[in-house]
Amino acid sequence: MMYKLDITRLDDFLSAISTGRDVFALEESAGQYHLTRADSWQPGRHTLGAFRQVEPLKTLVFRPREFLGEIGRSRPEAVMPERIVIGVKNCDLSALKIHDHVFLNTEPADPLYREAREKTIIISCDCSAAREVCFCPAVGEQPYPKAGFDINISPTEHGYLVEAGSARGRQLLEKAGKFLAAADDALLKERDRNRRELTRKVCAQAEQNGLACGADLRRAVEKSQGGKIWDDFALDCVECGACNLICCTCHCFLLADGESKNKAFARVKQWDACLYKNFAAVAGGANPRRHRAERLYNRFEKKFSFFPEILGIYACDGCGRCVEACTGKIDIRKVLGRAVHEL
Amino acid sequence: MSCNPYMPVPAILEKVIQETSNIKTFLVRPAKPLVFKAGQFVELTVPGTGEAPFTPSSSPAESEKIELTIMRVGKVTEKLHALKPGAELAVRGPLGQPYPLAKYHGKEILIVGGGVGLAPLRALLFALLEEVDKYKKIIVRYGARTPADIVYRKAVEESWGRKDLDVMITVDKSDADWKGNEGVVTTILGPKKLTCNPGEGVAVVCGPPIMMKFATLEILKLGYAPENIYLSMEKNMSCGIGKCGHCRLGPYYACKDGPVFTYDRVKNLNKIWD
Repeated sequence: MMYKLDITRLDDFLSAISTGRDVFALEESAGQYHLTRADSWQPGRHTLGAFRQVEPLKTLVFRPREFLGEIGRSRPEAVMPERIVIGVKNCDLSALKIHDHVFLNTEPADPLYREAREKTIIISCDCSAAREVCFCPAVGEQPYPKAGFDINISPTEHGYLVEAGSARGRQLLEKAGKFLAAADDALLKERDRNRRELTRKVCAQAEQNGLACGADLRRAVEKSQGGKIWDDFALDCVECGACNLICCTCHCFLLADGESKNKAFARVKQWDACLYKNFAAVAGGANPRRHRAERLYNRFEKKFSFFPEILGIYACDGCGRCVEACTGKIDIRKVLGRAVHEL
Repeated sequence: MSCNPYMPVPAILEKVIQETSNIKTFLVRPAKPLVFKAGQFVELTVPGTGEAPFTPSSSPAESEKIELTIMRVGKVTEKLHALKPGAELAVRGPLGQPYPLAKYHGKEILIVGGGVGLAPLRALLFALLEEVDKYKKIIVRYGARTPADIVYRKAVEESWGRKDLDVMITVDKSDADWKGNEGVVTTILGPKKLTCNPGEGVAVVCGPPIMMKFATLEILKLGYAPENIYLSMEKNMSCGIGKCGHCRLGPYYACKDGPVFTYDRVKNLNKIWD
C-alpha cells in the first residue's frame, strides 16, 4: 500500500511516528549532512536530506567501540533505548545486508548488534540529489531503497510517497494514519521518473570518473591480483585506514583487553582496518599481507570477490565516502575502472 | 552476559610443564567443562593482556581440564610463560571445525608434525587411540630442531615401542646422545623411512609454515590425493567466530571454516604458507 503525505504535514508525521524514541536524524551543515541524536524530530533543525550523511549508518548498530564486559563477571545488562533513524539513504541501508550476514545470520549471533538492530527503526528516503563522489549504479545499486527499511519516503514535487517495508513500519503508518491518504498513480509515476532520472545522472557521473555501470567488477578485481595496478595505487596509500573506518560496509574489528573503570580486566570490541600493517600478522611473525599493495588489493578482494562468493553481493554500495576520506586521494572509481580496463 | 560469544569463562592454571627452553604445557581448568573435538581450538585469555588462539593438546575425552602446549613467541605467550600455577586465566571455545574422524575410519593415517605443531596432533592421536581398531594403521613422523626441542619427549620416546603406532622422529641438528635420524622432517617421509599406502590413506600435517609447505609437497609426491591431506592453516584468528575479519583466507575464515583445511580447498589461494 502506497500513501501520499502532504508536503506541509511531513514534520507532524515524523514527530508522530518518532514519539517515545531516541531520534537520529540529519542536520545540514556546509553542504553536508550529519547524523545526530535528539529526543524528538525537530522541525527546522532536522531534514530528510537530499543525499547520504557523512557518518556511515553502521555507527548506530556496529559502534566504533563497544564494551563487552569484565572478564569473569557478567556484563551489566544495559538496556538500549528504542531508537528511530530518519533519512537513511539506500547505500547505508544496503550495507546492512553485509552487517546482518556477519553479525546476525552467521552463528553465533552478536548480541550487541542484534539488540541495536531490534531497537532501531529505519525510516529511509530516496535520494533527490547526488554527491560528486556517488557511484551506486556502478555497483548494482540505485539511489533509492528497494528493501530493508521499515518505512520509505520518496519526496516529489507534489507530495511525499510513503510506503512500509516491514510489519513494524505498517504499524507505525497505522498510528499516523490521519496524515496519510492513498497515493494516486500520478504521484507514483512522478516518483518513478525522479528515480530513473537520478539513477541516470549518477551513472553518468560514475562513468565520467572512470567507472562505467554494468561492468563485471568481480572478474576485474580477481584478475588484477598481483598486478602492477596495486603497486601503483599503493604509492599513494598512507595506511591510515580512513577508507575502512568510513566505509558503510566494512565490518572488521579488534577485541582489545585492558582495565575497566572498576579496576577489573575488561574487553572491548572496536573497529579495525585491514590496511593496517599487522592486521593479518600472527604472533610468530608471519604476515600474509606484508606489503601495502597486498593490503590494498585485499580490501578490494574482500568487497568484490569474497562477498560475491559467500553472499552474492558486492560489499560496496557506491557511497563514495572512501573517495572523500582518502588522505592519499585514491579514488575507488579509478581503481575499479582501471581493473575493468585491464581485463 | 553469558550468551556473549566474545567473552571467555574463567579458568585456573593448575600446572605448568616445561617442555623445551621456549615451550611449556599449561594445564588449565575452566570454570565450566569445555568439550572439544580434536582439531578445534580455543582462545586463551591472559586477563588484562589479551587472548590468543591455541589448539588443545590433551585428550578430547577430558573436558574438566585441558592442556595447551604453547611456544613463547608474542605478547600473550610472553605473559603466559611467566605465570605460576594458581594464576587466573579465561578461555573461550571450542571454536572451528574438528578433524572429520568418521571419514578416517578404515584408513591409514599419516601424521606429520613439526616443532610445537605436535600439540594439536597429540589431541588427534589421543582421539585416534581411543578407537584404534577403527584405523588401519597410524604413522607418526615428527621433526624438531634439536633433541632438546622435542616436545612431550618422554611420551614420544615411549611410543616408539608401541605395536599400534609407527613413530619416527628426526632432528635438524643432532647432539652426541641422539641415536635417531638427522635432517628435516621430509627426510623421514621418503620410501626408505616410511612404508605407507597413499591410495588408502589420509595425511595430517601441522607445524611451522615452511615445514608445512615442504612436507605437503613431499606428501603429494608420495601419492596422497590433495583432498586427503589435512593442513592446519593457523592464521590470525581473533574473534574465532567468523566476524572480525582477521583470519580470512580466500573465501574462508580460518577460524570458522578451519583451522584444518584439506589441501585441495586452499592450494589455489594466494600466500597460504605465510
